Amino acid sequence: MSAYEIVDHTYDVIVVGAGGAGLRATLGLAEAGLSTACVTKVFPTRSHTVAAQGGISAALGNMGEDDWRWHMYDTVKGSDWLGDQDAIELMCKHAMAAVIELEHYGLPFSRTEDGHIYQRPFGGMTTQYGKGIAQRTCAAADRTGHAMLHTLYQQSIRHQAEFFIEYFAIDLIMENGACRGVVALDLADGKVHRFRGQMTILATGGYGRAYFSCTGAHTCTGDGGGMVLRAGLPLEDMEFVQFHPTGIYGAGCLITEGARGEGGYLTNSQGERFMERYAPNAKDLASRDVVSRASTIEIREGRGVGPLKDHIYLHLEHLGPQVIHERLPGITETARIFAGVDVTREPIPILPTVHYNMGGVPCTMHAEAVTLRDGKEAVVPGLMTVGEAACVSVHGANRLGSNSLLDLVVFGREAALHCKRLLTAGAAQRPLPRDGAELALSRLDRLRHAHGSRPTAAIRLEMQKIMQADAAVFRTGETLAQGVDKLSRTFASFADVSVSDRGLIWNTDLVETLELENLLLQALATIHSAANRRESRGAHAREDFPERDDAHWLKHTLCWIDAQGGARFDYRPVHLNTLTNEVESFPPKARSY
Amino acid sequence: MAEFRLPANSRIDTRAGKHYPAPAGAKQVRVFRVYRFDPAAGGRPRVDSYALDMEQCGPMVLDALLKIKNEVDATLSLRRSCREGICGSCAMNINGVNTLACTRSCAELGSGDIRIYPLPHQPVLKDLVTDLSDFYAQYAAVKPWLKTRTPPPPDRERLQAKDDQLKIDRPSACILCACCSTSCPSYWWNSERYLGPAALLAAYRWIIDSRDEATGERLDMVEDAFRLYRCHTIMNCAEACPKDLNPARAIGHIKQMLAERQH
Amino acid sequence: MSLRTPLGRVLNHGAARSGVVSHWIVERVTGLALAPLSIWLLVQLLALPASDYASVTTWIAAGWNPVWLTLTVLLAAWHSWQGVQVVVEDYVHGFAAKTLLLLLSAFAHALVAASGVYAILHVAFRSTT
Repeated sequence: MSAYEIVDHTYDVIVVGAGGAGLRATLGLAEAGLSTACVTKVFPTRSHTVAAQGGISAALGNMGEDDWRWHMYDTVKGSDWLGDQDAIELMCKHAMAAVIELEHYGLPFSRTEDGHIYQRPFGGMTTQYGKGIAQRTCAAADRTGHAMLHTLYQQSIRHQAEFFIEYFAIDLIMENGACRGVVALDLADGKVHRFRGQMTILATGGYGRAYFSCTGAHTCTGDGGGMVLRAGLPLEDMEFVQFHPTGIYGAGCLITEGARGEGGYLTNSQGERFMERYAPNAKDLASRDVVSRASTIEIREGRGVGPLKDHIYLHLEHLGPQVIHERLPGITETARIFAGVDVTREPIPILPTVHYNMGGVPCTMHAEAVTLRDGKEAVVPGLMTVGEAACVSVHGANRLGSNSLLDLVVFGREAALHCKRLLTAGAAQRPLPRDGAELALSRLDRLRHAHGSRPTAAIRLEMQKIMQADAAVFRTGETLAQGVDKLSRTFASFADVSVSDRGLIWNTDLVETLELENLLLQALATIHSAANRRESRGAHAREDFPERDDAHWLKHTLCWIDAQGGARFDYRPVHLNTLTNEVESFPPKARSY
Repeated sequence: MAEFRLPANSRIDTRAGKHYPAPAGAKQVRVFRVYRFDPAAGGRPRVDSYALDMEQCGPMVLDALLKIKNEVDATLSLRRSCREGICGSCAMNINGVNTLACTRSCAELGSGDIRIYPLPHQPVLKDLVTDLSDFYAQYAAVKPWLKTRTPPPPDRERLQAKDDQLKIDRPSACILCACCSTSCPSYWWNSERYLGPAALLAAYRWIIDSRDEATGERLDMVEDAFRLYRCHTIMNCAEACPKDLNPARAIGHIKQMLAERQH
Repeated sequence: MSLRTPLGRVLNHGAARSGVVSHWIVERVTGLALAPLSIWLLVQLLALPASDYASVTTWIAAGWNPVWLTLTVLLAAWHSWQGVQVVVEDYVHGFAAKTLLLLLSAFAHALVAASGVYAILHVAFRSTT
């Protein structure tokens, strides 16, 4: 093991990941005077927040009457009542301040005629508790995520935040159930860095790449979730994987829901606007799970478009070049490049595509990671989590479009504020346990010298195909059981992985293998959790249990994965209570759009 | 003196390149000639050629590179992330032009071999991965954040006219891929003093932001024979930009503003 | 290898400011003025009945020609001096070599300008007497 040169660091807080949530947390920590290291495997502006298009929701009311309580109701309903209402209240109530803060940072929001932030309609966003359509999603054309990520990075430079860029976090340093820091590999020179901190914040994003076709980047490998599972901690609600209705057929690239917000609609092979049948009120702006299921049914019943009748059309031509050019320039370019389509003339071929993980590291609304200890919910000392990596849960069983960017900044800020409350800047820290980096170093060394018979890419592809087939939009007990079986074998075959690059400088073969292990663990958690939940709720649609079952399943799944790939479950109650008396709880009711 | 030839240890070792033949039965073969450099191995860089069956490969250059990495040679290193042209990771030199591998289709590159090199005139860390530290420092040097002295309204956004927003709309769409700066000969010769098109576009984006109150300070910062005026309107930047932005025009506007404030 | 931070290297000595805008304007203004002057010169030379010594000197001394010629020589020298400075700054990086070349260029351009003006005036005044 002496082959690795080890560099030690001590900070008050370590943030892992530099997407929207990680940067917002880093920024807040820098402002709070806590010494902070932001460790990221890509340069901050390459994080996948950059690809978010449509916008960030907040009841600013710039384009008509709005109220954060309506936003809260929509989010609760969108979550199919699995979201925790206290956390949702916090998010929706802070949304306006969060967006205004971003504007004050200089984010180049699109504007209304009178100079306010432009807001567009989005799926599931309504006024008067479901009666009207709200214009709530604040947009910078169709690259809001890009604008936001760059703005947050700019603010981080301004606050002289300390970054460790292109450092791959391998594992948490755990001691008696508490997190003491993280071990990371510097890709540029292969040195191993041990970061010791009073708090470690995981902002590592989702694991979309567990699927064959996803809108997520190649780097969306959910490294935080993998680290947490290996540390013997659970993940929450992993069965809930959002399929975005409009991924480009074939390429999988995202076409924003804002396209439908601006007036786009879907048709089947008969040219029918089929969403009118499935969601008579909201139509094409129904919640994503609803639209994805509708598209899947259309295709399955033979009304798909194209020679194989295996996709759907998204029409924008009727919007006219003016609106398209001003509001949707990015997807115009994306559709041209990846679908060969001129959106001002032809429809875009689209397909429901894996987009977002509602599940993640269980945490409180102050971002503190939690687990169960002796059957009771307990905070994991020294560990926080924010963004897509986390499961607060504000998205429950299905996230509403444009609530994700909001989640990032609200809870990124919340994590920083909570660190300020909890920690003393520069407080002395005990030495790390002797074997603190052992897990990380042994994995690193084993995988770097792995000379099995299965290349990383082959195992990865097998996993992706299984997830795509057996943990899809619709699921049955039978396919899930098959999936669990196949995936467990794939997981076992990882012991036989082969890595061909033995170097230490920019060894991406090694990094992809470390990422694959993270993906495999979370794929297992997903498919096991999906097989375990015998009801349909939000994005989890069981054909053998088509109804929502509040009597048995109005609870969050907690899933542990052991070293052999076996799953263990427990549950967390859903918080139906609100945070304050400014709003009343929304009791579960039937969900229709 | 400016360097017109690569240092000896950076020149391609033409005899060292390996060839990976196409799989048996491949019908539509295309050869990808890829720059390889492994600092740990010592020695000079080489160009490996990989023959791929295009019927079994996605349409973009990035698809081909990942096919090589996944199925032929896992030791190839490159940066990639979003694969849809928004993160700016996979900037490289393809058939002599700086661009993003993820949005450049192989079919558009004619029918010959496809030559893939790292971004020009940057230190190579490994294969197609270059060290962009200076590029990022140039970006940071222009203080790319909103600077005001008037406090913002406490509970609402700063107002901005739609027309004023449209001025910053395109310039703020830069993805920091470095295609422009590393395609600029003037940047090659003076990258330690010339800010380069990307950083100047970023400076411009804030200079013309109607909300910003540090316009003069920003103009002062670039008023320098090297930082700004090394731009000789060669226009490679506008040609290279994969997002169809026009850094050269932005630089022209900055020069115009500097001239305007003289009289 | 420098151990200075990238930002430290980029910020370096700060912006020099002094005279760079006027340098840029001078390049353009002299260029602008030289455009009609050089066309005039070309047309005039092509229109000369013969290119022997007598006809050329007569042409130089005729009417306003000495004025236009003097302007052409001065502006061309000025323009070239500015341009050469940029080229030297582009490609020569050592302080000593660069300063030496810039000085040489300045002297050479001054010499060319002075000789040109002297020659024009010499021809012009000789033929009037």
